Amino acid sequence: MSIIASNLHKEYHTRIKDEGLRASLKALVNPVYRKIIAVDDLSFTVEPGEIVAFIGPNGAGKSTTIKMLTGILHPTSGDMRVLNMDPTTRREELALHIGTVFGQRSQLWMHLPPLDSFSLLARIYELDNKSYRMRLAELSELFELQDLLKTPVRKLSLGQRIRCEIAASLLHSPKVIFLDEPTIGLDVIVKQRIRELIALLNREEKTTVFLTSHDAGDVELLAKRALVIDHGRIVIDDAVTSLRKRYLNRKVIEVTLNDTQSPLCLHLPQGAYAETPEAGKLRCIADTRQISVSDLVKYLVETLSFNDLTVSDPPMEDIIAAIFRGEEYQK
Amino acid sequence: MKSIVKYSGIARQSLLNAIQYPANIISRLLMYSLFISVFFCLWGAIYQGGEVHGYSLVQMIWYLCFTELIVFCCRTTVYTQMNDDVKSGAIAYLLVRPCHYIIFQFFQSLGELCVNLVAFGSYAIVLALTYVGVLEGFSFYNMPYILISFILGITLNFFMLISLGLTAFIWEENTGFYFVYQKLIFMLGMFIPLEFLPVWLQSIARMLPFSYVAWAPARLAVAYSSEFRDQVLPLQFLWVFASVWLAVFCYSRAVLHIQGQGG
Repeated sequence: MSIIASNLHKEYHTRIKDEGLRASLKALVNPVYRKIIAVDDLSFTVEPGEIVAFIGPNGAGKSTTIKMLTGILHPTSGDMRVLNMDPTTRREELALHIGTVFGQRSQLWMHLPPLDSFSLLARIYELDNKSYRMRLAELSELFELQDLLKTPVRKLSLGQRIRCEIAASLLHSPKVIFLDEPTIGLDVIVKQRIRELIALLNREEKTTVFLTSHDAGDVELLAKRALVIDHGRIVIDDAVTSLRKRYLNRKVIEVTLNDTQSPLCLHLPQGAYAETPEAGKLRCIADTRQISVSDLVKYLVETLSFNDLTVSDPPMEDIIAAIFRGEEYQK
Repeated sequence: MKSIVKYSGIARQSLLNAIQYPANIISRLLMYSLFISVFFCLWGAIYQGGEVHGYSLVQMIWYLCFTELIVFCCRTTVYTQMNDDVKSGAIAYLLVRPCHYIIFQFFQSLGELCVNLVAFGSYAIVLALTYVGVLEGFSFYNMPYILISFILGITLNFFMLISLGLTAFIWEENTGFYFVYQKLIFMLGMFIPLEFLPVWLQSIARMLPFSYVAWAPARLAVAYSSEFRDQVLPLQFLWVFASVWLAVFCYSRAVLHIQGQGG
C-alpha cells in the first residue's frame, strides 16, 4: 500500500470569546477554549499507482489530513503509514520519496528564476548532477518550461508558476504526490493542461496521486476513486464512475426560453425543481423516481414557449454539490 | 557530505536572493549612515574631551559603528519570515523537505548574513574612519579574536531570534516578545556600553545573554585586552551553545503545536 490511515484523529483547542470589550477583558483573565475535531477516526488505504480524489467542503479536514500524511502535523491519535513509513517519526526520510503541491502556496523563490529553485531542490533531495540534468530536461519538455526557466518567478503567470511548482515537486521522482488544490485560480485551458500532465505522470511513472480539489473537473477527469470527507469523517469511499451512477436517478433538462418569459413563475410538478434560473434560461432537475423525464418535458412544453430543450445527466459538479449538501447517497 | 552539499546550496540560494535587489542594500546603507551621523552629533556634544567611563570619543563612535553593524546591519529576516510562514501556512512547504527546519533556517540566513557583513562591514569601517579617524591602539594581530567574537554575537542574535520566531507555532501573536528582545539588546550594549549603566544593572546584564550580542564584540574591538578576550569569548561560546539548544528544544516542542487549519 502507498498510504494507510487507521483511525486518524486530530483535534485542536482554539480560543473563543464573546463580542465586546467586557468579553475581551474577561477572556484575558479567564480564557475559554473550544475543542475542534478536524479529523475524526479516519481510515482508508491507497494502492500504489492509484489516483485518489480526496474531496469535501471547506473545513472538512482535507488539508489537515494531507498535512498529517506528509508529517507536518502530528495526529492526536491513530496510526498512519506512507510508503511504509510513519510520517510523524520519519518525516525527513519520507520527504525524499514524496512530493507536495499546495496550490495556494509557493515553494519557489519569488525573486529568482525557477532554474535556481530547481537547482536548490536537486541538492535538497540529494540528486547527483547527472540525474538532475536528465530529470530537468524531461520535466522541461513535459511541462513546456523551456521559456520559463530563466524568468524570475514573480514575473510568471499563475498557470506558468503552477506548472513550475508541479515540476519542482516531481524533480526527485516521488513515489507519491500530494496535490492540494493544484488547479485553484487557473483558467480552463491551463486547468486542462495541468490535468493532462498529472494523468500522464501517473500513467508513465506510476506515481500515486492523492488529490484534493473543489473542482469537479479535476475529480472527474483524473481520479478513479473518490474519498468524500465531511466533518473529519469519510462519508463516501467509492469509484468515481459509481458516484455518477448513484446520481443517475437525476436528469437535467435545460431550456432556452423566449426572452420575454420569466421562469420564476413556474410551479414545477413534484420531483422536479428549477435551479439557477437566469434570464432566458431554465435548468430543471428531475428526480426520476418521482417524475418521468417525458412527463416533465410534457409539462414544460405545455407551460412554456422555448427555442431549445436538452436532456442530460447531471455534471460531476452537481453530484459533488449534492453530496456536500448531505443529500441521500444511493448504495 | 550530502548534508554539506544540501545546506551549502541553501546558503548559496539565499545569497543569490539577497543580491537581487541592490536598492534594498543601498537604502539600508543610507539609514545606517543616518544613525551614525546622529550618534556622532549626540556623543560629540556629550564629550567635551577626555573619556567617559573609559571610552574616548573615537572609541565611542567606532563602538557604535560596530554595534549597529551587528544588530541593525547583520540582522536577518528570520524572525519575520518564520512568523509569516506560520501565519500564512507556507511552513507546510518547509516541513515537507528532507531537511532539519532549524538548520535550514540557519543556512538560509547565512547567505543574507554574508552579503550584509561584507557590504555593511566595509561601509562601517569607511564611515568610522571618516568621522573620527583611526582607532587608537588597534592591532591587526587581534583581528581573528575580534572576528570570532563578532561571529559569535551575530550567531547568538540569530538563534535567539529563531527561538522567538518559533513561539509563533504556539502563540499566533508573538510580536510582544520580539519588541521586548529588541529593547533589551538596544539598552544592554547596542546604544551604550554596559560600563555606562549603574553597577547593579551591569552585574545583572553580564549574567544575561543580551550583552554578548553587541557589547562584547564591539568592546573587544575598540578596547582590546587579552583579559577581556579570555573573559567574554568563553561566555559567548556558552551563550551560543545555550541559544542553539534553546532553538532546537523550542522547535521540538513547537512542532507538536502547529495548527494547520484553513488549507
